[in-house]
Amino acid sequence: MAEPMRIRAKMENNAADVKVLMSHPMETGQRKNEKGDLVPVHFIQSVTAIHNGKTVLDAQWSQAISRNPFLGFRVRGAKAGDKITVNWVDTQGDKGSIDTTVVA
Amino acid sequence: MAPSKIAPLEVKKPASAQPWQRYKVDSQGSTWPQTDWSSFSTLAAIAPPTDGGSLRYATPIEGDPAKGRQLAFDRARGGSCVSCHVLGKDTPPQPGNIGPDLSTVGATRSDDWLFDYVYDPRKLNKTSIMPPWGAHKIMNIPEVRDVVAFLKTLKEPHVFRDPQDNPATRTPPKDTRDNLDATDNPAFFALDRGKSAFNRLGANGKSCASCHASPETAFKTWAGRMPKFEPRLDKVLGVEEFITRHARATTGEEILMQSDDNIGLSIFLHNIANGTPINPDLSNAEAKLAVKRGQDLMQRKLGQLNMACVDCHTKERHANKWARGQYLVEFKGTVAHFPTWRTSRGDIWDIRKRFQWCNVSVRANELPPDARQYGDIELALAAINKGEKVNSPGIRH
Amino acid sequence: MHHLRRTFLKLSGAIAAGAAASFLKVGNSLAATWNKSGFESKVTVEALKSLSASAATPSREIAISAPDIAENGAQVPVTVTSKIANTESISIVVDKNPFPLSSTFDFANGSEGYVSTKLKMGQTSNVIAIVKADGKFFTASKEVKVTIGGCGG
Repeated sequence: MAEPMRIRAKMENNAADVKVLMSHPMETGQRKNEKGDLVPVHFIQSVTAIHNGKTVLDAQWSQAISRNPFLGFRVRGAKAGDKITVNWVDTQGDKGSIDTTVVA
Repeated sequence: MAPSKIAPLEVKKPASAQPWQRYKVDSQGSTWPQTDWSSFSTLAAIAPPTDGGSLRYATPIEGDPAKGRQLAFDRARGGSCVSCHVLGKDTPPQPGNIGPDLSTVGATRSDDWLFDYVYDPRKLNKTSIMPPWGAHKIMNIPEVRDVVAFLKTLKEPHVFRDPQDNPATRTPPKDTRDNLDATDNPAFFALDRGKSAFNRLGANGKSCASCHASPETAFKTWAGRMPKFEPRLDKVLGVEEFITRHARATTGEEILMQSDDNIGLSIFLHNIANGTPINPDLSNAEAKLAVKRGQDLMQRKLGQLNMACVDCHTKERHANKWARGQYLVEFKGTVAHFPTWRTSRGDIWDIRKRFQWCNVSVRANELPPDARQYGDIELALAAINKGEKVNSPGIRH
Repeated sequence: MHHLRRTFLKLSGAIAAGAAASFLKVGNSLAATWNKSGFESKVTVEALKSLSASAATPSREIAISAPDIAENGAQVPVTVTSKIANTESISIVVDKNPFPLSSTFDFANGSEGYVSTKLKMGQTSNVIAIVKADGKFFTASKEVKVTIGGCGG
């Protein structure tokens, strides 16, 4: 599934500063649609970040993370040219992934 | 093929969904009220006055102060009295200051004055923007009595412990976000959608790109020069309505206003014009007339709450004050960021959807997005914002 | 705003029936590590228990950056920085939310004790950070007021 994502990784104070924006409804399960039916609960449950093949961040989320989730984290010891990958999985098993190269 | 001087436009059909139906919910679960306010004025029609004339009643006004207090704090009643007033020691958090602090009103005003003012302030104060709670039937007469009974209990000045809770000392919000940071503003997902719509072949086997091969140069200043008076339609067209009508006449695509593709294309085209000044063509007589009409509409009292655009958004009235916890801004600075990502709604709004929401907020029936009145207001606002730099997509609360 | 709050408060009743059932159906391997009891806790005390952080020590080495007054409760930016050595994880709890535990971030292989996100807040509340470092738990909190809208919506 090709849910759009945005990522940026930039060196700052000897660490890669990574910012990620995911496109996801993060449905709480209580919102009603135009027809008045409840929209089923549907949110990103886990997010992992990988730096040059090694997991650096493993996050567990609830539906309290905002719609179109934002995630910022920092990887010490990273350098320009390194690869950062971010993957997510939601409550319906849908997945998203994006990678980028750290810039100086 | 190079675009001709006069852009082809489809001019017969409406550019928005017909019949227009008010939004019900948005993606965040926030709801649009569904009440029909057709007995009150809209931007399209002035309703006959609903003022009930002078009322016969006996003083002192007898009412239930506890019920009155509940009504005064009830956000479902036109946003509650707290939206505009401080109301004594029990004032709920984040009161507004559009109206005066009423903490001692019970010590200074007579029963009949309080009743008349709550029922219909226009009789006592021509410049008041307070809704005529009784005359517009937001409250019935026993409820107005209860509110008066509550107001009569207010005799002590309210002391705020937290200066941030006091609307007189609260710090106005300052936006530090970078709305052009694509990892911060989800509207960039819509921009991508718009870019692909630009390159997609329509029913006529052509895309936007077939004629506009270099949009970044061709549209460098275009969105800044919109909206504009369009003689073929005898009304003002904004970017979004132009997209609908031009696509129909060229690629054959049906891209209704406020559809995802329309919003995407609008962001794409506005974003290209970022940094260029808003500079609408006001040179012709029709444009000047449209601006004048827009200015007049912005003065018109609308809806059950009986409020005009200028009441909240000019410094001569109540801009730069607090409606409950929300800060009212002046017209200048309110245009250049559209279409904009609204964090509270979880959606991207074009400027017409913003107008629609303002209408519904004062309990006036909104118009379809392609309504000529919205075009006139959009042009009048562009005139006020002349010289402001296009900065889209924005982020607002 | 109050519509959102209403939606949020309503959650508490229905989630046990609706949401919990759908979590169980999730077929991905990570569901096993998802802190179900913590995320479904309705009070902060229970959420902290699920993290084994009931006795977390207050620490000035945890900084919570969030607005004093959030413009609304739909997207409140919250950044937590831990200067505590060997920070292994950061959890963010919104005390007054129907389900207080919002997220847990586990760090490894050089990632800093730093995380930035945006949260839904049903109302004005303390935002609590729980930091695990060298197996011990530390905490800090900050009140975030949620703006109440003026137009009844």
